[in-house]
Amino acid sequence: MKIKEFSAYLPRPATLKVKKELSELVTLFEFENDSGRPLMHKPGQFIMLSVYGVGEAPFSVSSAPIRESNNFELAVRKIGAVTGIMHDLKVGDKVGIRGPYGSFFPIQKFVGQDTLFIAGGLGYIPLRSLLHYQLKHRDEFGRIILLVGTRNPKERIFIDQLAELASGKDVEVLETVDVPDETWKGHCGVITTLIPKVRIDPDKTNVAMVGPPIMYKFCLGECLKIGIPSNRIYVSLERKMKCGLGKCGHCQINHLNACIEGPVFQYNQIESVEEAI
Amino acid sequence: MKPKIAFFDFAGCEGDQLQVANLEEKLLDILSHVEVVSFREVMTGHSDDYDIAFVEGSITRPEDEARIKDIRSKAKYLVALGACATIGGVNCIKNFMSPDVYKERVYGTSGRWYSTYAARPLKKVVKVDAELHGCPIDRSEFARVVKELLLGRQPWIPDYPVCVECKKAGNICRYDLGRICLGTITRAGCGACCVTEGAHCWGCRGVAPKANLDAAREAMNKNGFDHKTVRDLLRFFLGDTYAPL
Amino acid sequence: MTAYTVYLEQLHAMLAAWSKEHQVYVPTAVEGGYFDFKPWREGVEIAFDYDLAYNTLKRYFLPPKEDLVVFDLAAKTAEMVFDAPKQLLFGVHPYDIRGINQLDQIMETGAPDQYYLHRRDATVVFGLTPMRVAETAFWSSMGAGEVDRGFDLFWTKTGPSTFLVEVGSMRGEKMLLAAGELTPASAGAREAARKAHLKIMEMGRSNALNFDWKQVPRLLDKCWNSPLWQKKAELCLACGSCNLVCPTCYCFDIREEADELLQKGVRFREWDGCMLTSFALVAGEHNFRAKALERYRHRYMRKGKYIYDRYGELGCIGCGRCVRACTTNIANPREVFNTLWEASQHED
Repeated sequence: MKIKEFSAYLPRPATLKVKKELSELVTLFEFENDSGRPLMHKPGQFIMLSVYGVGEAPFSVSSAPIRESNNFELAVRKIGAVTGIMHDLKVGDKVGIRGPYGSFFPIQKFVGQDTLFIAGGLGYIPLRSLLHYQLKHRDEFGRIILLVGTRNPKERIFIDQLAELASGKDVEVLETVDVPDETWKGHCGVITTLIPKVRIDPDKTNVAMVGPPIMYKFCLGECLKIGIPSNRIYVSLERKMKCGLGKCGHCQINHLNACIEGPVFQYNQIESVEEAI
Repeated sequence: MKPKIAFFDFAGCEGDQLQVANLEEKLLDILSHVEVVSFREVMTGHSDDYDIAFVEGSITRPEDEARIKDIRSKAKYLVALGACATIGGVNCIKNFMSPDVYKERVYGTSGRWYSTYAARPLKKVVKVDAELHGCPIDRSEFARVVKELLLGRQPWIPDYPVCVECKKAGNICRYDLGRICLGTITRAGCGACCVTEGAHCWGCRGVAPKANLDAAREAMNKNGFDHKTVRDLLRFFLGDTYAPL
Repeated sequence: MTAYTVYLEQLHAMLAAWSKEHQVYVPTAVEGGYFDFKPWREGVEIAFDYDLAYNTLKRYFLPPKEDLVVFDLAAKTAEMVFDAPKQLLFGVHPYDIRGINQLDQIMETGAPDQYYLHRRDATVVFGLTPMRVAETAFWSSMGAGEVDRGFDLFWTKTGPSTFLVEVGSMRGEKMLLAAGELTPASAGAREAARKAHLKIMEMGRSNALNFDWKQVPRLLDKCWNSPLWQKKAELCLACGSCNLVCPTCYCFDIREEADELLQKGVRFREWDGCMLTSFALVAGEHNFRAKALERYRHRYMRKGKYIYDRYGELGCIGCGRCVRACTTNIANPREVFNTLWEASQHED
């Protein structure tokens, strides 16, 4: 029998171009596709990244979708086998990538509207893709409000970029940390406490929210409380992912596959899905 | 620079180091990436300069503690090798008796000349970075773990019970044959070798991290195995764990 | 459907002929009074009246461990590897063919799983009408007693040494007729096969779901908070046996290993199961189904509802393998569904 030479599991090569430490545990990686073609991802999508001999893991793409460049960015926290090794990679090293996979923030639905970004911890990483797209096409979008919450000042990431955004006119930035230290002069408390502080027009605001599981439990309720309907709230749900193709089963949320129907969900899609939030 | 590795043993049969030696050609390939500075089973000579220490055997005497602590202080990475080192293993059978009883049983009238106390796994005394379970260890698992360490990743050790590997092997469940088996609670990684060879699981790889011991005991009883049978089997390898009754 | 009459004495030559190109597997008696598929060779006795193959047949399409990609550690390049041996499964019961057909659907959906599909294409399936029903089986009430596709030939033993063989594919017919012409089945022979089928369906009803299987998804819809889940889950060993013996469970883990010289490596997949404690555990130690109750319920929801919602059929074919495999006797879909059904009758 003739076997077709095709496998969805075959990674294609990419080269590490830039590596920049964002915090003690989080590093920003910029890769270039060896194929000479752009990644063609949409904001909120993820890729599977291979370090050969060690393994493969899913990562949200953090850079804006652009066709002019073959480069893309990931921000990675040192936490498991693959992410541990990634931090030892040197510029010029090769990795394998598959994807992009999964659902995304529907940019068209955000056009002409206000966007409330709610980023808890590493949740800023995938949201940054949508945020940067909006900044690149600033005229097409209304107000951009960015809420950022981190556990403690040491774990803050993209500090310079956030400072730059906060000093400019394009984005209204509100930041908080759960537990302050002596260096922290800003707002304290969980990110939920920032939501009542922003004045928004619920009829023309979309929410893009990414954070740890516990954050959703509280922040979704706050958003509904200030009058944003669930079909205007977008969340990205993290799950274990091995294949990215809807086959291996690890990312199942009831009948949904977080790698196919997700990771980005319109909240009304999953409001009644048990175990989603 | 090649990482330096060393092998040490405490109370045990050195069967795990023998398993390593039995890797033969595979071992030679692996050894091309490391420098072995101490391995009594296959070489003479010893050095105190090492990165990875593989330690076999359990701690059974107060004076062992100083030695294992010394090894720990010199090693960047310490791997417990085999059931005696990871879970105390068969040495812990004596822990169910009073010291007077087991001393007399082993050493007769000269028992009081020997310093010995309740057997325990390495992790009760020092920090252990990785555990290679089994009595004896699985050769291919040893090879894999060394390769993973060389590639810089934390070794992957299964946390599910032996049943998983038994089903993969396509074995007939011991309980379906009216026999007892500890595969239901024992950490996998051996490829269910004992069952595949016609025996049953003895629990040598220790209790799987989230094993449901109450349910497993109940099932053993319901399948006709009395309290003593179950107790003795659980004490065989798992004396230092919370498994025995 | 074209059908032929085949006599037992003709079968041996056929098996020998098929064996030249295919690895032939047949049901045969194994230890403990059980039956399993084993490679056929001279002298292996085929158990035409086997009640249930101890191991699920999914291993022929979705092996316990399967290589996906090989890579070169120095050059950082990767290549695909496919292995699809030519094999023939002789004597597969209808419910197991239903299981295979469901896997076909799942593996074809979205990004087609080439590894599975290659193996499936290379595998010839000859069905067989069961003559006995396993103690734990309840397929006749799960709509899985009959099958109209997914096989190349379908055999029914109609007499001590007579088979009616229905043709399911051109490949099957070609293989059947390879050794020479056969007698087309008479109306009487077809009637005998129909009766054999009715007889086994009747026998299967002694162990049945107490209600129409089509009600299962709607039933489960109402049972999220049933106390049954916790009661059962307390005895769950989290050993994954029910997943691994299930003909329609397909979940897998992906891992990789380098060779001893650290030059080449292989990425492979291995059977996994949603009942295992770390199945939904992500790096950073968050477990999305940390409790036994959640894992246990998820499995039944998948078997009785989620698969149905997506593919229009239940994820349980009633083979009863999980019932047998569960050491603590909590994995019994028939009992679970019946208990939930009865409880729901009292609610309204």
